[in-house]
Formats: sequence, structure tokens, C-alpha cells
Amino acid sequence: MANLWHKLTQHDGNGWWNLPHGPSNELNPPFEGPIGGAWFGNLWRTLTHGNVSHAGVGFYWLVGFVLAVITLLEVWLFTLEGLGGWFIPILLFLSVVKFVGVVAYFMHLRFDNRMFTFFFASAMIIGILIFSILLVIMKYGNQPVLF
Amino acid sequence: MTQAAATEHHEPVENTSTGLNSRKLMMWAFLASDVMFFGVFIATYLVYRGKSLVGPYPSEILDIPITSVSTFVLLMSSLAMVLGLHYVKAGEKNKATLWILVVVVLGAIFMGFQFYEFRTFAHEGLTPRTNIFGTTFFILTGIHGAHVTIGVIWMAFMAYSSHFGQLRQDNALDLEIAGLYWHFVDIVWIVIFTVIYLISASDGPPLGVGPTIIHG
Repeated sequence: MANLWHKLTQHDGNGWWNLPHGPSNELNPPFEGPIGGAWFGNLWRTLTHGNVSHAGVGFYWLVGFVLAVITLLEVWLFTLEGLGGWFIPILLFLSVVKFVGVVAYFMHLRFDNRMFTFFFASAMIIGILIFSILLVIMKYGNQPVLF
Repeated sequence: MTQAAATEHHEPVENTSTGLNSRKLMMWAFLASDVMFFGVFIATYLVYRGKSLVGPYPSEILDIPITSVSTFVLLMSSLAMVLGLHYVKAGEKNKATLWILVVVVLGAIFMGFQFYEFRTFAHEGLTPRTNIFGTTFFILTGIHGAHVTIGVIWMAFMAYSSHFGQLRQDNALDLEIAGLYWHFVDIVWIVIFTVIYLISASDGPPLGVGPTIIHG
């Protein structure tokens, strides 16, 4: 179990959610894939010709293609009938995937110093919290708090 | 980190307390504040969603095919942006200028789509004063449009600088910072397209209120 935890979370264990370290702490470990894992790391090295700190032109085209396909998928889902209650969750999920794709790869957060990620993620969390509180207040705000 | 290692990865360590470039950190701090700025307007739209008592309603007026094309255009401008930055860093001036110009053109096309949409809506009777949908819709998409306009002007300056050799490998950070802004405009639109257009497109009048008769 300790070994699994180390693999998932520690940088030298190539943890899949670990972001690369930036110049302020230590170098990107060599041969690190964008989201970790051996098979993806190998694919990544092939696509970027071994350049681990920044992606190459081919990879950017690949990300752009995937984002375009997801957009087409969203529009196609919009035309479908019968998704019912799944419609909104699926669209939100696809939207999050596109959002993360642009932020991680086009804005280079995946390859950049972690502090930038913390900045942006903190703002996202605060924003979502404000939004959630606003929705709750609007729904229950006109009702007595206790009785 | 050793100096040799830094040289190997071409990532200079900034002489600041954080080790990060202050201008880049400032841009990320700005984007973090802009997240909350847009978040509030999106939340406001959702809070008042479906509460318009008079039309036109989203189901009567939103044009998903047109907006899908403009969304695709903006998404591809992000790809062009990252390619432009790549070529500036690689020292390939002509390719860099070309891709930055592509960003300018695609951004201008997106603005054209938005102008067309606003004009059509106004023609069909939807203005910011018509109903709560019009107010929240125009404020949100209008502010986003203002961001795009600023971005297009910024990118036009970048293309000019690149063409005349003022944007080089050693100051590629100028374009990187501009690019962060441009990509942010794109991710905001990703959320707007999903929430305002796709999810709200079937919103009609509230219960007990009839549909709008659009003259025109």
C-alpha cells in the first residue's frame, strides 16, 4: 500500500496527478509524461521527440484536433433527443475536458511552475464556491433560517 | 537546481523571491481575478435563467449552428496562438508572424460572428432592456467580446513586432503573456458556449406564460 501511495503521489514515482516541478524548486524529472504512466509517457516522448519540458508542434495539433472533435461531439449531443437527465452532466464533463486541455497544454500549466497552477486553481475553487453559495442563497434565501 | 541543469533545459531562474518571472506571475494573478469576474456573470445568468416574463426566450432566438462555428473559430485561434509562440521560441520569424496573424484573423472573424448575432437579436426584439435573459446574456457575452477585442488589438501589435524583428527568442515571454490572455478568453467561451448556448437553448417561457410573437 505504501508503495502504491508513493507511486501515485511522489514525483519520482511518476504519479499521474503530479505536476512537473518548475525552475524554482527542481527540474522536470527526465522522461516524465504529461500525466504520468509508462504507456502514456512513452507515447509522449514519441510525440515530442523526447522534449519533456515543452510539447512540440505535432502535439499541439493533436490537442487542437481533440478539442475540435469534442466541440463537434457537444453539438451532436445537442441535436440528440432522449438523453434526458444525462444531457447537462455530459455537456459539463466535455466542457471541463476542453477547459483542462487548453489550460494544461496550450497555456503550458502542465509544464510550468506549480505556483501558477496553484494561483489559477485557487481562483477556480473560490469562484465555484461563490457560485454555489449564490445559488443556495437564491434558492433558500427567502425562507426563515431556523423556523 | 544547478546552473548546468538550468542551461540544459533553457529555463532561466528569475532573480525574484519566487524564482518566477514577475510579469508572468502578474498575468496569472490577473487571470485568477478574471476567473471570478466572469464566474459572477455566469452565475448571475444561471440564477436568473428561465425567469424572463416576456420574450424573446432563448429557445426562440439562440442560433446554435452559427455559434458552433464561431466557437470552433475561437478554439482554432488558440491552436494558432500556441503555434505562433512555438515558432517565436524556435526563432522562425516568418512562421511566427504567420501564425500570430492567423490569431488576429480568427479573432476578428469571431468578433464578426458576435456582431452579427447581436444585430440579429436586436432586429428580433432582444436587447439588454427587453427581459432578464437579454440583460444577463448581453452583459456576459458583451464583456467577453470586449476581452476578445482587446486580445485582437494586442495580437495585431505582436504580429507587427514579429514581422519587424522586435519579437525574438530572447523576449518571447512578451508573446507568452499575451498568449495566456488569449487562451483565457478561449476557455471562458468554452464555458459560455456550454452553459449559455447548449444547455439553455431549449429554455422557453415560464409556466403560464405564452411564447413570443416575433415581428420582422
